[in-house]
Amino acid sequence: MFAPQTPKERVEAIQSAHRVLAALRYEPQPVSRGYAGRTLHVDVSASQVSIKPVDDWMRDTFIGGRGFDLWLLWNAVTGATRWDSPENEIVISSGPIGGITQYPGTGKSIAATISPLTHTVVDSNVGGYFGPLLKFAGFDAIEVQGIAPEEVIVFIDGNQGVIQILAAPEESVNSNEIAEEMVAVFAQSPAEKQGITSVSAGVGSEHTLIGCLNFSFWDPRRQLARLKQAGRGGIGTVLRKKRIKALVVKYTGLKGDSNGPADLDQIQRTGAKMHREIYERDPIMFTMRLDGTNHLTKIMNDYDILPVHNFRYGAHPDAHHIYSEHFQKYFDYSAPDGCWYGCTLACAKVATGLELRSGPLKGQSVTVDGPEYETVAGIGANCGIWDAHAVLEANFYCDAYGIDTISFGTGVAFVMECFEAGVLNKEITGGLDLHFGNGDAMLELLHQMGRGEGFGCIAGQGIRRMKEIFARQYGADPAFLQDIGMEAKGLEYSEYVTKESLAQQGGYGLANKGPQHDEAWLIFMDAVNNQIPTFEDKAEALHYFPMWRTWFGINGLCKLPWNDVEPGDNRTRYQGMDAAKVPEHVDNYVQLFTAMTGRTDVKTGDDLVRLSEVVYNFQRLFNLKMGFGTRDHDAIPYRSAGPVTDTEYESRAERYDGQLRAQVGLDPEGLTTSEKRLALRRYREEQYEKLIDAVYARRGWDRDGVPTLETARSLGIDIPEVVRLIEQHAATGD
Amino acid sequence: MITVNDRWELEWKPGLTVRDTLASLGFTHTVVVVSINGLLIPPGDYDGQPLADGDSVKVIHIIGGG
Amino acid sequence: MKVLVTNDKLCIGCRLCEDVCSQAWYKGINRGKSSIRIDSLGNADWAMAVCNQCGQCIEVCPTQALSRDKTGVVRLKKDLCVGCLSCVGFCPTLTMYYHPDHVEPIKCIACGLCAKECPAGALSIQEL
Repeated sequence: MFAPQTPKERVEAIQSAHRVLAALRYEPQPVSRGYAGRTLHVDVSASQVSIKPVDDWMRDTFIGGRGFDLWLLWNAVTGATRWDSPENEIVISSGPIGGITQYPGTGKSIAATISPLTHTVVDSNVGGYFGPLLKFAGFDAIEVQGIAPEEVIVFIDGNQGVIQILAAPEESVNSNEIAEEMVAVFAQSPAEKQGITSVSAGVGSEHTLIGCLNFSFWDPRRQLARLKQAGRGGIGTVLRKKRIKALVVKYTGLKGDSNGPADLDQIQRTGAKMHREIYERDPIMFTMRLDGTNHLTKIMNDYDILPVHNFRYGAHPDAHHIYSEHFQKYFDYSAPDGCWYGCTLACAKVATGLELRSGPLKGQSVTVDGPEYETVAGIGANCGIWDAHAVLEANFYCDAYGIDTISFGTGVAFVMECFEAGVLNKEITGGLDLHFGNGDAMLELLHQMGRGEGFGCIAGQGIRRMKEIFARQYGADPAFLQDIGMEAKGLEYSEYVTKESLAQQGGYGLANKGPQHDEAWLIFMDAVNNQIPTFEDKAEALHYFPMWRTWFGINGLCKLPWNDVEPGDNRTRYQGMDAAKVPEHVDNYVQLFTAMTGRTDVKTGDDLVRLSEVVYNFQRLFNLKMGFGTRDHDAIPYRSAGPVTDTEYESRAERYDGQLRAQVGLDPEGLTTSEKRLALRRYREEQYEKLIDAVYARRGWDRDGVPTLETARSLGIDIPEVVRLIEQHAATGD
Repeated sequence: MITVNDRWELEWKPGLTVRDTLASLGFTHTVVVVSINGLLIPPGDYDGQPLADGDSVKVIHIIGGG
Repeated sequence: MKVLVTNDKLCIGCRLCEDVCSQAWYKGINRGKSSIRIDSLGNADWAMAVCNQCGQCIEVCPTQALSRDKTGVVRLKKDLCVGCLSCVGFCPTLTMYYHPDHVEPIKCIACGLCAKECPAGALSIQEL
């Protein structure tokens, strides 16, 4: 038994308490060439549901996924909209390739909202069935706006053609429970369970700004609702602010041609070829099917890139306690683990038989989706908690409570450094001994976030607010906090040490949503392979890869099959940067896109990048609309670029002394550690400024990091509001 | 002296192999492409192929990452 | 377990089996819809490729559409199949086929019709 089934009495209690607050009937239509051609708008304040068309301009300019989310959200909010304003929306969309079954990694959804952490648009990429089934139900995207007068769920039956806002007093709030409840309530037969998918959060989302969304999919072999996370940016917090417990789609009958592709033959060929490649190559490359993303932990530690003790160090002698083999013993391998049909890369892992040692479910044996590398590195390594069980337990409760494991891990690491530095003490933390390594204290913080009490709720405000609170209320040195608080734009960093990779410092610092690695992952290419030595090389990489990676988010795709497996001849047919782009896989995506849409104007990878550039630049302009989007917001904390303290300098003294000599032209002989540290800091901070100058130029942005009118024009997004924003910025420098 | 990835310099001694080079630099990653002066070296030759003084070695790590 | 057994040395490359198979199961002579494929190796040698009922596809299917029937033959339940073709990619002998006219893939179910018609005695249904 992998998970307890919802008891019959509970199902009946939930159902009998439902009241229909709004309902709309519609005619389900088949999807054509990857598009339903309509979006759904749900207003939970006014209890109204409406259907909007997707016009050709929207479809061809924004493609889908993140693009559709941005366009719909742009039109819903003003520059004054806050995350908790009623007019803020959560928008979810898959994309034209999303929902095919033949190619691995084609079931992604992108969720977007005005974030409680960054106060501008955040986008988050997630697996599970919601986006694709929403499309087959008839909608390329869903906008959820308003604040409901009472707790509700939104239910869409894509076979019957019914949309309802239902008062939902009885449902659980936590994802681990409500995902199962929604399947039990809405499936009329066992076969229908696979057709039910939900989006939910948890009680932790109500008490913190780091709430995540959980997207479910039904696992027929294990008979349980699996959960994938749209982790970043606090979208779960917005969901719970709206008093929404779940968004539910029901759709049965999907097939490999449900998208109505222009050329099914091409899609089948490309998919079958890719499955075979994974069959042959995954076992000798990254063993995704065995370990998921956990294979990364050892590699990061070996190369001094694993975040340890709040990103102070890149490795630790105890790291091996959280390598993948310690999680393998929990993994159930009895069934395929793709988070959408046909994903043979199958990186989703399910850990079973975890006996909880803390919290409201203490003593129970549970099932956890994960862990992912980010969770292991963030909650484990970064907090010095070398304990696989503690990491899995935190993973379970983060998912249940609806809390982002990355913001939680990086946030707790910050708290722990503050505690050890004397900024915090047990009086402030309510008795919690928050030294690095204290897994019990970490879990108690998490439970406090669930309960809505204690220091956990301060930690749950995110690092940017914690810095402000600690300086104002506890007299901490704001400059020190600024240096060690690993956040940019208000969002916590994800789990890679970037001190030795200027390119990745830019990858994180320039990302539109904040420092999330789905923007670019250049650390090895830069710091180890040394393939992008000059500023121009780095700027080119920081143009190509963020644009290329945007492609996945506008089509409903996962990036892992792109470069977490490669064709056997990739490195002999191609060299250097060309090989890093994995050209055959880029061609696969050209084939999939043209075979789906029938577009004949798209022929190469560069055409796909061009389409992505439109959405990427639009997001930068959206940041400008919300009062951000300029150079000063691309600033990064110094901990991400170099040693903040003398201890950090001395931990890698030989490396840094060598760099002072070779790069700065300074002889370290006779200098104090402080003097050397400051000289290195000046140099590295200058390097970052030079880097972003080069990147802005390459992207067609001005020196303040704003897309020029010419750039906006050439991308076809010079709509009146954009022109006004750019001109206003040029005039006032705002 | 041999250079690795145009970044690291290692002292050369007779009989130095690719395997030795990888070990000195702590390059434990198993999915790599190695070349010496532009010539690809298959994994089977990491122990056998001796390096010459002045060789330029590239060890390209293949890793998709996050 | 019931299985179609092939003997490449007896095969004369007439491809009657392909015609019989596609005609029986897809109502038309079309090599692309046959569950058995005969390929020339040159020198009048022929390679016969058809499912040997090994069952490795069963565990790779995300919808449990593949399972063994009472006779041990691996059968595809079309109503459960979503056409992902994972089984095609993961078949050790590359004998799960597909055709764009159909979302679901194509495999041998050891019906024996081809064995009855083979003029060279290169095919037989056996109990292994």
